[in-house]
Amino acid sequence: MGQRYEQELTEEEELGEEKKESVLKNTVSWIFTNIKFLLIPGYRLEELSNREKDYEKSISKRKFIRRLKSVLTILGIVIIFVIITFAVLGPWLAPYTFEEANGVFDNWWAAASPEHVLGTTMFGRDILSRLIYGARSSLTIALPAISFSVILGVILGVISGYYGGWIDSLIMRIADVFFAFPGIILALVFVAIWGQRMEYIMLAYGILGVPYYSRIIRGSVLQARELPYIEAAKASGAGNWRIMFKHILPNTIQPIIISFTFDIGGIILSLAGLSFLGYSDYRLIEWGNDISAARLHLYDAPWTALWPGFMILITVLGFMLVGDGLRDALDPRLRNL
Amino acid sequence: MSMIKYIIRRLLVLLPVLFGVITLTFILSRLMPGDPVLAHLPRNFSAEDYTNALRALGLHLPILQQYVIFLGDLFTGNWGTSVSVAQGAPIWDLVLERFFRTFDIAIFAIVIAAFLGIKTGVISATNRNKAKDTVLRGFALVGVAIPVFWMGMLLQYFLAFRIPIFPGVGYKTAGIGDPPKITYFRIIDSILAGDMRLLVDYIQHLILPVACLSFITLASITRQTRSSMLEILQQDYVRTARAKGCKEKDVIKTHARKNALIPTMTIIGLNFGGLLTGAILTETTFNLHGLGELLIVAIRNTDYWVLNGVVFVTTITFITVNLGVDILYGFVDPRIRF
Repeated sequence: MGQRYEQELTEEEELGEEKKESVLKNTVSWIFTNIKFLLIPGYRLEELSNREKDYEKSISKRKFIRRLKSVLTILGIVIIFVIITFAVLGPWLAPYTFEEANGVFDNWWAAASPEHVLGTTMFGRDILSRLIYGARSSLTIALPAISFSVILGVILGVISGYYGGWIDSLIMRIADVFFAFPGIILALVFVAIWGQRMEYIMLAYGILGVPYYSRIIRGSVLQARELPYIEAAKASGAGNWRIMFKHILPNTIQPIIISFTFDIGGIILSLAGLSFLGYSDYRLIEWGNDISAARLHLYDAPWTALWPGFMILITVLGFMLVGDGLRDALDPRLRNL
Repeated sequence: MSMIKYIIRRLLVLLPVLFGVITLTFILSRLMPGDPVLAHLPRNFSAEDYTNALRALGLHLPILQQYVIFLGDLFTGNWGTSVSVAQGAPIWDLVLERFFRTFDIAIFAIVIAAFLGIKTGVISATNRNKAKDTVLRGFALVGVAIPVFWMGMLLQYFLAFRIPIFPGVGYKTAGIGDPPKITYFRIIDSILAGDMRLLVDYIQHLILPVACLSFITLASITRQTRSSMLEILQQDYVRTARAKGCKEKDVIKTHARKNALIPTMTIIGLNFGGLLTGAILTETTFNLHGLGELLIVAIRNTDYWVLNGVVFVTTITFITVNLGVDILYGFVDPRIRF
């Protein structure tokens, strides 16, 4: 109790300080919140209750954002921003074009020079350009893969948790089989079977994630299924699919959102591992691939291994920092601390 | 008694899973591109040679019959000899030798990681949101986020090349012999053989890979310990312990930490199982010739039999370790009844 009282006190103090802050900031924030009234003619709130709801929402949003304000989370957001910038604006940021960064020249394994700021790697390719283009291929493989696993995993998990019985046993036993397999082995075998193409690598990782998400969501669906609001929905005549995806899903999706951000990092990391072992799409520019090539010249050109690895570390770290921050902000068990 | 019943029940549940894994491995291995028969044949072979080799390997039978034979061989221990990985070597010996090499690294890594991880996790939780916590959390996250092969290469560059303290690659110095195989554990074998040179050499080779693996494992153990400690610290009994005047040290050590360790145990178990197989990257970086490396070679050379053997052994280990952790729960936490 003592802790809670202190917390309230500090919050009041903060509010007081906010009042004292400059008029300019107040005006700007007023314009920002009321911009819809200024810009859209005839825009008005229809009911008072609607306005109240918005107010409540803004309050909770503000608290949520305040929770996100830790040094590490902000660092993570900055990193993700930079990586996305690299991925989107790659051709404009990189000193060489994609073809040049993937071409063959004579200046192999060269140290840093004015033409090649970070030196060159195998085939005399510019490292800096490859670092920037690498962001693009990491994200284009990781994001669809994880979206695939989340969507399929959530659907299977909700069905399994909601229906129970033999459907549940079937889905969960299959998930168990996938769990008993060490992930990287399965990815290796899948890619070896299907071929080293980007689409198949995506699909392999997408499939690998499905049991994981379906198990998470099944657990929370099992709890939610017994709650009164489901009974109410049933009583008012809602169908099974409606209950599953309109009533249960929004109430159980939170752990998925938390682990989703974190797992993007994990997937980028294991993708790098796969390319390090030589199972990557050779048409792409990939960091793991560069490290794998650099192994041969570790002792005479260490920078060729250093930079791509550093990029992997930073990217993964960025997603994980944000995932961690989200967990701290959203996890109800930690809320009262 | 109830414990034995529980174990039996768990084993019965595991049977279909194991069966599924074996079936999946069989299907996947047969789907792999490449032809293992070709590895057996001379460069200019006739059609007759090819059919003979096919018959010798039993690949001419219908696929279902192959599957039944495969199941029978797997459980009777008749694993056959390797076709293309190491021609003629019995698979059982090959897998076992590699398994214990990986096991050595994994066991050292997990012990070090568990010891340090629990410590840092507790420190991090008791100093929540202070500078110490931020630093430790950042450090732990770096451990989760670092590509282990990259870390291995950095260690190789700095500690084996720049300042040559440790050997960079392999599990033994070239030219040094092997101790007689008694227990398959190289350390114990070296001690039994009374050869200190072998022992020291082996341990020197283990240090860098173990450092890599324990760092990445350490991170997840730290994170789990931290979050379960945070949860435990708001329980009523912790407040009671404080109210009755326990020293803070005792509150943390005897009241909170013991209970926080239960979820951590699961993570340690999972990590240990993962290390046995997930050490592929570390093994490749350090040229350790462990189980993971054998697996990659088997995939590259389309050696169905070695691949099946490796996956079977790793899955069994993985399942056993997790079962072991679940049983350990009962000893650690007397509230859990089976």
